[in-house]
Amino acid sequence: MAGVQVSNVSRSFGAHKALDDVSIDFADGGFYALLGPSGSGKTTLLRQIAGFDFPDSGRIAIGGESVERVPVEKRRIGMVFQNYALFPNMSVADNIAFGLSVRGEAKTAIATEVQRALDLVQLGKLGGRRPHQLSGGQRQRVALARAIVTKPRVLLLDEPLGALDKALRVDMQIELKRIQREIGITTIFVTHDQEEALTMSDRIGILRDGRLVQEGPPEEIYDRPKSEFAATFLGDANIFRGDATGNGIRLPDGTAIAAGAGARLAAGAKASCAVRPERIRIARDAGASDGGANILRGQVSKRIFAGNNSTYFVERAGQTLKVIVQNTGADRLDEGQEVVLHWSPESTVLIAAG
Amino acid sequence: MAAQGAAARRGGLRSALPLLAPAYLWLTVAIFLPLSAMVFFSFMTELPLAGKPWAFTSGNYAAFFLQSLYPTLLLASLRLGLEVTLWCIVIGYPAAYVLAKVLKGRSREAIFLLVILPFWSNGLVRIFSWAMVLREGGILDTALNAVLPFKINIDLMYSYPAVIIGLVHSYVPYMVLTCYLTLQAVDDSLIEAGRSLGASRLQLLKRVIVPLSLPGLVAGAALIFVPVVGSFMEPRILGGRTGTFYGTVIEDQFVAVFNWPLGAALSFILLAVVLVILALASPVLRRAA
Amino acid sequence: MATTRILEWLGRLYILVLLAFLYLPIIIMALMSFNVSPFYQLPFEWTTEWYAALWQNDQLISATWNSLEIAIITTVICVVLGSAASLALYRYEFRGKKLLQALLFPPIAIPWLITGTAMLIFFFGVGIGRGLFAILLGHVALALPYVIVVVSARLQTFAPELEEAARSLGANQWQVTGRITLPWIMPGVIAGGLFAFAVSFDQFVVSYFLSTPGQTTLPVEIYAAIRKGFTPEINAVSTIIIAVSMALMLLTARFFKFGGEK
Repeated sequence: MAGVQVSNVSRSFGAHKALDDVSIDFADGGFYALLGPSGSGKTTLLRQIAGFDFPDSGRIAIGGESVERVPVEKRRIGMVFQNYALFPNMSVADNIAFGLSVRGEAKTAIATEVQRALDLVQLGKLGGRRPHQLSGGQRQRVALARAIVTKPRVLLLDEPLGALDKALRVDMQIELKRIQREIGITTIFVTHDQEEALTMSDRIGILRDGRLVQEGPPEEIYDRPKSEFAATFLGDANIFRGDATGNGIRLPDGTAIAAGAGARLAAGAKASCAVRPERIRIARDAGASDGGANILRGQVSKRIFAGNNSTYFVERAGQTLKVIVQNTGADRLDEGQEVVLHWSPESTVLIAAG
Repeated sequence: MAAQGAAARRGGLRSALPLLAPAYLWLTVAIFLPLSAMVFFSFMTELPLAGKPWAFTSGNYAAFFLQSLYPTLLLASLRLGLEVTLWCIVIGYPAAYVLAKVLKGRSREAIFLLVILPFWSNGLVRIFSWAMVLREGGILDTALNAVLPFKINIDLMYSYPAVIIGLVHSYVPYMVLTCYLTLQAVDDSLIEAGRSLGASRLQLLKRVIVPLSLPGLVAGAALIFVPVVGSFMEPRILGGRTGTFYGTVIEDQFVAVFNWPLGAALSFILLAVVLVILALASPVLRRAA
Repeated sequence: MATTRILEWLGRLYILVLLAFLYLPIIIMALMSFNVSPFYQLPFEWTTEWYAALWQNDQLISATWNSLEIAIITTVICVVLGSAASLALYRYEFRGKKLLQALLFPPIAIPWLITGTAMLIFFFGVGIGRGLFAILLGHVALALPYVIVVVSARLQTFAPELEEAARSLGANQWQVTGRITLPWIMPGVIAGGLFAFAVSFDQFVVSYFLSTPGQTTLPVEIYAAIRKGFTPEINAVSTIIIAVSMALMLLTARFFKFGGEK
């Protein structure tokens, strides 16, 4: 077990900068998500850590030992691939045994380890099957067992749940987390699914165009995004753009929006504010609003009912705002209705223009 | 991401070379150098062996153009290639269509295998087998005379039609193979879409199916035409005295007349013709690949 | 719909006619090899004397051994060189790769008459001369591209992540190749080997130009016999050859789908 330090790593493919001066510290035993749209460099970074490819510059250390020129087979990592990459010519048990067997370990020792790994992923009796006889979820478990049976220093997962359907995914998320806790291995996983990243990881790194945009615990990134991109990529956000007023902004039409205490920007600079849709309250008139709140008037243009909540789209000064309201049985607003939106400054994040 | 994976394996010539070198060295020694040597020899008066005097000459090529025999024979071979190819299309394309679009499942696989199986068996022996059928007093003769009320003499052996029959028999599986592969790739829903738009069978065939399977037709045609133009064993066995073609003349230069430089020149001219044909077919073939 | 069904049945009937055209002469030849009359006269009377006579024909027997020997050596060489080349073409990216792949087609596409005569000239010129060694050189060159094409086709279905997964588990290049890649391409290698055997064993044209009276292969010997005059003995040996090569191809088909079924 060991932490992973990525320091100032850059990698270009021709003119394309796949990674641009990326530094992240993955602490020992943590569960990290690398999140980003396709082409953001998250898979490239994972492959650098794995050792399938070497950085043009920068340093990668596993357990304090520099590995940026060490090929993958010598790095002692475990990896789960997007499509599992189970060896079709081998049984489940032989797949799991592969890593131990190429090291030349004794047959009896291997058998014990394989059975232990099979039990860990709850596939105890399926060792004799072939990969094509397994369901998607079972293949996933085999791939995981194969990756951890060698006791790697770090576990790398490349969109491990991408090929599963929704219900199975949720099960596997819980399962994966349980196994990770049980063996306490440093785990880095790549995903483009924000929900997955939020629910599973201790820390999230958001990448865009080869650069690390923001890194931190899920709550911190969700509540205090440092850029419009982070705000909109991880979760939904209403973005207001205007001029900074110190502790807030003024919109082009003169309306002021106040942000929570703490954030301050020099007055006059371009800035924006992000507000999560579920933080905004919606009402027929201003009477219900609490004092000191941000208040905007608008008109409901569309309502989408989604069972436990409803999403209202509200038109205001040429901007469409999104508001999510829990269905508590209170009255529903119709399309066309004039409404008042209000939310507290604490729910507003001030972002300097990037 | 696939591109990145490939990029990671880039710069691999040094790793690839030890694996590639033996195969390509062999091909160089046994194919590419011989073809180059053939060009070289075709400009010589005499083989530079056993101390015989020799000189460079263009006489071997002059011989081709000055003696009307060679161009005539080349034309005859080209005509033979054309006829055989056309017959193969006429016979093979419908068969490929039935295989790809009418037959289903295991019977299709089995029959497809049966059709192309002879192609991979010994060509010489298959040509020889026709001798039994085509000669006077052979099976065709005997069978027809047993059925027909009047007496006819079937003796196709040692004739131009015999050569055609033998060659078509040899090469038609090729056409079935290439057309089947492209026809099979034509999505059935395209045909259904065409029919739902009111196209008749003939219109569908002309405007959808044939254009889409054209690469297979062209590939088959090229792969048949080229070896037929260079054939010599088939005309020898089935054509007898009428079986003199460009290929047999080349054979003669090497095994009977021993005028190797002339044979090399004739071979090279054939190679040039072949390359032109392959080059003409290659745009369509590349589309198929 | 009625017309569709009639057309479909006509189609099936047509296939039967085509199969008859393809197989009748071969069947007749096989039958005649069991017929008493040396002039293929009917009525048919059963005998195996022509097959017995084959055993007395030393020339045919030694040519058969030559053919088998060359086909087997050709197969072994082609499988080894061809698989190595296919792996290299699959695994590595480099300049000129497209050219190397294109170079596989001249040996397949150029008529054997041209390649055969060219080999004759070149081998004579460099002192290799004619004979079994020259024939072997030629056969390997003719069969090699087929093996590379077949093995490469199999490799196209191989997922590169499998190699990466093996490496991530600590396997070195040799272990990856031996335990992951080779087992996967084995059907292609076997099919390629059978192709190579068939190309060599059935090869007539190139062998014809490169053989000498003592050092010759079976097809060349048969051709010489045919030109001297037909005999039921030739039918007998031809029947054997065609049975062998068809059996080989049936075997190949088990390992390699020609039809590219979806």
